[in-house]
Amino acid sequence: MHAADLLTAEPTAQAVAAATERLPEPSAAARDQLRRTLAASLRAPVAAQWPALLLEARSKADVRYVEPATSHRPVVGPVLVFAKRTFRGAFQPFINEVLRRQVHFNEAILDALTVVIENQREHARTQALWRRELEARLKQLEKDPPGPSSP
Amino acid sequence: MHIHQLVTRLAWGDAIGNQVRYLQSLLRSWGHTSEIYADTWDDACRDQVRPAKSYPRDATRDSVLLVHHSFESKQVPLIARSRGRKLLVYHNITPARLFEGYDRGAVLACDAARVELLALRPHVDGAFAYSRFSAEELAAAGYPRVAVLPFAIDWHTFDTPPDPALMAELDDGCSNILFVGRAVPSKYVDDVLRVFTAYQRLYQPKSRLLIAGNIHRDAPYGGFLHGLKDLLGPDRIQFLGRVNAAQLSACFASATAYLSMSRHEGFGVPLLEAMYRDVPVVAYGAAAVPETMGGAGLTTFSREPMEVAQLLAVLEREPALRKQVLVAQRARVAALSQKAVAAQVRTALQDWLGGRGPGPAVASSQAPAIELVCPGFSARPEAPMSRLARELHRRLPDSRILALRERGEEPVLSLGPQEIEGAPVWHFTPDQPVGPPPEPLPGSASLETAVRASSGKVVLLGTDTAAAQAVLAGVGRRSWGVRDAAAASDEASTEAVRHHLGPRLLELDRSDLDAVANALVQALSSKRGARHARR
Repeated sequence: MHAADLLTAEPTAQAVAAATERLPEPSAAARDQLRRTLAASLRAPVAAQWPALLLEARSKADVRYVEPATSHRPVVGPVLVFAKRTFRGAFQPFINEVLRRQVHFNEAILDALTVVIENQREHARTQALWRRELEARLKQLEKDPPGPSSP
Repeated sequence: MHIHQLVTRLAWGDAIGNQVRYLQSLLRSWGHTSEIYADTWDDACRDQVRPAKSYPRDATRDSVLLVHHSFESKQVPLIARSRGRKLLVYHNITPARLFEGYDRGAVLACDAARVELLALRPHVDGAFAYSRFSAEELAAAGYPRVAVLPFAIDWHTFDTPPDPALMAELDDGCSNILFVGRAVPSKYVDDVLRVFTAYQRLYQPKSRLLIAGNIHRDAPYGGFLHGLKDLLGPDRIQFLGRVNAAQLSACFASATAYLSMSRHEGFGVPLLEAMYRDVPVVAYGAAAVPETMGGAGLTTFSREPMEVAQLLAVLEREPALRKQVLVAQRARVAALSQKAVAAQVRTALQDWLGGRGPGPAVASSQAPAIELVCPGFSARPEAPMSRLARELHRRLPDSRILALRERGEEPVLSLGPQEIEGAPVWHFTPDQPVGPPPEPLPGSASLETAVRASSGKVVLLGTDTAAAQAVLAGVGRRSWGVRDAAAASDEASTEAVRHHLGPRLLELDRSDLDAVANALVQALSSKRGARHARR
C-alpha cells in the first residue's frame, strides 16, 4: 500500500505504508491463485434494459390509453373516428380513474417478474463462474506433480 | 414554536429514522412542539408518527417543517401547499448507477429523487446537509441558503450490553472483521468479501467475517453475494441478517476491525459507531466517508482487495500502530460529543428561525450560456478532452468548464470559478476518488446536479464518462456530445449515447482537435442549435 493511497492523520500515511511493507511476503503461488479467484469473481456489466421476455407485457401495462381511433369505411369512417375521439376525449379522466389501480397492479407485477428474472440470471451466472473456477482448480491439481504418498 | 419533521418512511433502526427520532427529542427538550409525519412506517414506529397527508391541515403560519430528503418521496405537492416555513434536511441520494444491473426500481427511484431535489428548491426557505459533500450538491442545485448541520448521534443507544450467547460464539480466538449495513449494491458488500478473502488467504487463516444487516437472498444482489461467498471460498463468513441492539454490541465487542468498502455514504454513522466502540476502522474513501472519518481510522483510496487486506493485517500485527489509530478515533468521537453537537444543532436552527442563517449563495446560480462538461479537466489536463475543452472555451467565451476535483481535495460550498489557464473552472467532488489513467473517471452527483439545474446548452466532452451517462436523459436536446472512440469501451453505453444525441454526437479525431472544435462552435452558434437549446 502506497502512502498516497491513504488518508490518515495519526498515525501518518507514511507510517502505515511502512507497516504494510513489514508484513511477511505471501508466497507467489498463493498470490497468483488469489488473483485468479478475484478476477473470476468480478461481475460482468449487465444490460440495464428490460428483460426481452417482458417487453411486450410492458408495452401493454398501461391500459388507460388505446391506439388512435381509425376506420376503413369510406364515408361514415371519418364520422366514426370523430365520434370515437370525442367520446375518448370526454370520458378519458373517468377511464383513467377507473383503471388507475389496474395500471398500478400491472406495474407491480412487472416489477416483481423483473426481480425474479434478474435473480434467476444472477444464479445462472454464479453457477457458471463456480463451475469454471472448479474446473480451473481441477486442472491445476492434475498439473501439479503428485506429492509423496502417505504410508 | 411548532417544529415538525417530514420523512418518506419512518423505519426502526436505520440512520435516518434514528436521526429523526433524536431530533424530535432534542426539539421537545428545547420546549418546541414536534411531531414526525411520514407516508409509511415500520410497525414498531406506529406510535411515533402521524400520516403525512394530515400535515397541510395541521400546519399553521408559524409552523416550521424539516423535510428529510434521501429517496423518491412524491411529497413535493404536499410540501408546496402546506403553510409555514420549510427547511430541507438533505441526507444525500445514492447515485442511480450504483444499482444498475441489480435493482431497476431503485435506479428509477434514485433518479426521481434527484428530480425532486430540484423541484423542492422553490418551496423551501433554506437547506441543511449533514456533510460538506452533500451541501456541495445543494449549492450545485442552486439552493440559495445552504448550511452544514452536525449529525446528532445519540451515543447512549450504543451502550447496550452485548448478547452473551453471540459473544461466546464469536469469542473463540478468531480475528473478527465486521461490516454493518444493509446488503445493497451501493455498499459494495461484495468488495468486503473480496478483501476478507485476501486477508484470510494471505495473512490470517484464523479469521471470520461478520456481516450484520438485512440481506434479501431472493433479491438479485443478495443472491449474487451468496454465490460469491461460494465462489471465493473463504471459511467463516457469517451473514447475520438483521440483528438487535444486544447482538450488534456483541459484534462490535468481538471485532478486530471494522471494514467498509461502500461507494456512497451521505454521512456514515456505522463508521463513527465503530470508533465509539473502540474498533479500528478501515474504509474506502468514497463520497462523504473521508469527511466523517475526519483523519481518524484508516481511509484508503485503493479498492484493490490485496492492498486493503494489508491494512487489516497491520492493525492486527502492530499493536503500537493499532493503539495510535484507536487514540485518534477516540479524539474524533470526543469532538462529536452529544452535548457539543446538540448545542451546535440548536444554534444552527435558531440562526435560521431568527433569520440569521447564511446569506444567499451566488456561485452556481449564475447560469452561463454553455456548459462544457469535462470531468477530467483538472485531474488529467493533458487528455484530449481537456485540450478540447480549453480550445472550446477560447472560442466560446460565455462558456464555463465543469470538472472533478482532484483526489484528496475536500468539498467546499463555493463551487467556483477557479481560473485555470484563463478558463473559469467549476470544481465538483467526485463520488469516488479519481484513479490514475486508464481507470475510468468516476461520476459526481454534484456535477450532474449542476448540469441538470442549468438552463444553458451542454457539451459533454467524453460521452463515455459516468457523469455524461448520468445526465444524458435529463438534458435532452440542449446537449451535444464528443466521443473518443479510442477511449470508449462499452458498446451498450455508446448505443445509449447515440440514441439520445443522434446527429449531435461528434467523434473525436485525436490528431485534429480543431475539426471537432469547429464543428461544435458552428453547431452551438447556429439558429438550429439555439432552437434545440430552448426545447
